[in-house]
Amino acid sequence: MADDSLVIYEEEIQQLESLISKMLKGCEAKCALLVDKDGHLITRQGFTHSLDTTALAALLAGSFASTKEIARLVGEPEFSILFHQGKKDNIHMSLVGDRSILVVIFDDRTTIGMVRLYARETSVELTKIFEQIKENPKSGASTAISDDFANMAQDKLDDIFQD
Amino acid sequence: MVSINYSSREVCCKIVYYGPGLSGKTTNLQYVHAKIPGTTRGDLISLATEADRTLYFDFLPINIGTINGFAAKFQLYTVPGQVYYNATRKLVLRGVDGVVFVADSQPDKMDENIDSLANLDENLAEYGYDLKSMPFVLQHNKCDLPNVMTLEQMDAKLNPTGVPSFMSSATEGTGVFDTLKMIIKLVLDKAKSGGGQTRPNASAVSAPSPDNSVSAPSAAPTQSVASAPTATSVATLPQQPDAPEVVREEVDQAASASVVESAPVSEPASEPEQYRPYPGSQSQKIDIKDKKITPAAFTPAGDNIDSETPLEKKVVSEDTTGETSEDDSLKAPIMSPSLKKTALRKKRGFLKRLFGVR
Repeated sequence: MADDSLVIYEEEIQQLESLISKMLKGCEAKCALLVDKDGHLITRQGFTHSLDTTALAALLAGSFASTKEIARLVGEPEFSILFHQGKKDNIHMSLVGDRSILVVIFDDRTTIGMVRLYARETSVELTKIFEQIKENPKSGASTAISDDFANMAQDKLDDIFQD
Repeated sequence: MVSINYSSREVCCKIVYYGPGLSGKTTNLQYVHAKIPGTTRGDLISLATEADRTLYFDFLPINIGTINGFAAKFQLYTVPGQVYYNATRKLVLRGVDGVVFVADSQPDKMDENIDSLANLDENLAEYGYDLKSMPFVLQHNKCDLPNVMTLEQMDAKLNPTGVPSFMSSATEGTGVFDTLKMIIKLVLDKAKSGGGQTRPNASAVSAPSPDNSVSAPSAAPTQSVASAPTATSVATLPQQPDAPEVVREEVDQAASASVVESAPVSEPASEPEQYRPYPGSQSQKIDIKDKKITPAAFTPAGDNIDSETPLEKKVVSEDTTGETSEDDSLKAPIMSPSLKKTALRKKRGFLKRLFGVR
C-alpha cells in the first residue's frame, strides 16, 4: 500500500478556509464542507454547528462514490457535480481535484446558479492549492503519531471498552 | 489512509468490517455503539434495506480522546456482505486503514468465508492495496452457537499468514472489543511506521503561528494551536515561506486523476472584470477574491453572512444581466440618488400633464 496519508497543516487549512468562506459570502449559502473522497472531513465553514458533520461527510462521500459507479455504468468517467434539492435546503457537491469534494448547503436565499458559479470558481482555486501541494511534498510526516501513540491509545481503549 | 489534520488536531482512521452476508458485521458495530459511552461515539448510521440487511454501509464514528494533543478518531464501516452488492462493497474500501474480517464459524458457512476473503483481496487490489501489508484482524463470529468450528480449525482455513484472530459472539459481545482494540493498535502502529520521518523544526517550535488570526473567523476547528497540550506548532513552516501549502498526499488512484482533469470543473479563471454576468453568459468571469455580487432578487436576510453588501452594487449586477442601453442615466445604478430624482421628476411631470395637479 502506498503511503497516501492525508496530512494537512495549519496554513493549508487557512488557505482552504479563506477560499471557502469567500465563496460562502459570494453565493450566500448556509455552509460548506470540504470532504475527502474517503469520507474524512477536511474543513467546514459557515453555519455548521447544528449539523453532524462527521456523519454528513461520510454519507456525502458515499453518495459521491456511488454516483461515480453509476457514471461508469453509463459510460461516463465521473460525474463532477451532484445536486440534491429539498423543500428548504439544497446540497450542491462538486469535485475538487482528484480526491476532494466541495459540498455547499444552501437555502432559498440564493440560487443554484449562483452556488454553482461560485463553487466552480472556488473549485479551481482549491484544485490549485491541492496541486501545488502535490508538486512540492514536504519531506516531513506525522509528528502527530509518535512512538508511544499506539500504547497510549491502548490505555484509553481499555478505559472505554469495559464490558 | 490515515488523515492527520494539524488545524483541528485530529488523527482520523478508517476501519472496515468485511465478511460474508449475515456473519455479524453490523452486529459488531451495534454492540460497540451500545456499550461505549455516548461521549465517545457518534450516531450509528445504517444504510439498510427494510429487512435490516446492509445496503451500502454502516458507519460509526468513535473518538477515543486526546492523545499527545491530537484527537484520535476512528470511523468504523461495515460492508454489505451479500455477493451481488460487490459494487458498493468495493466503494466502502476506498481509503481504508485497517480491515476486520468477520467470518461465520459455522461449518457450512466456510465456503462463503473463503469466497468473501478472496473477494476482499480482489477488491483491495483494485485500489492498489495489499492485504498482507495492511492491518488485518480475523474475527470468527458466532462462537455462542452450538457445533461451531474452533479457533484452530478456522485459522487453518482462513488465516495462513497468522494475523491476529479472535473467537467472538457479536450478539453477546464476546471478543468484540478485543478485535477492535487489536485493529486500532495495528492501524496506529502502521501509521507510525508509515509516516516515520519527523518534520524538522516541527517538534521544537512551541509558539503559536503568527498568522493564526487568519483562521480566527472560521468556525470550523475547535481547538486552537496555542492551547493544544503538545503545542508542536506546525503552522510556522520556515522552509517555504512563499509557498506555504503542504498537504502530503499521494493519489491512490491513478485512474481517477486522469479522469478529473478532463472534468468541466477545472476551468481557469481569467483576469478580474468589473462585474460578473449572470450565469448563462459565459463571456466574462471575475476574480472572486475582491468581487461580491448578490442576486438583486434576494435581499439579504437577518442572519446573512455578509451584511455589508452595498446596495448599488447589487443593482448594477442586475444591469449586466439584461440589455445594454446607450442611455447614460440607465448605466448608473437604478437606485442611485440622481436616477431616483430623475424618475420622480418625470413622474411628477406626467401626473401634472394628466391631471393638472401639483
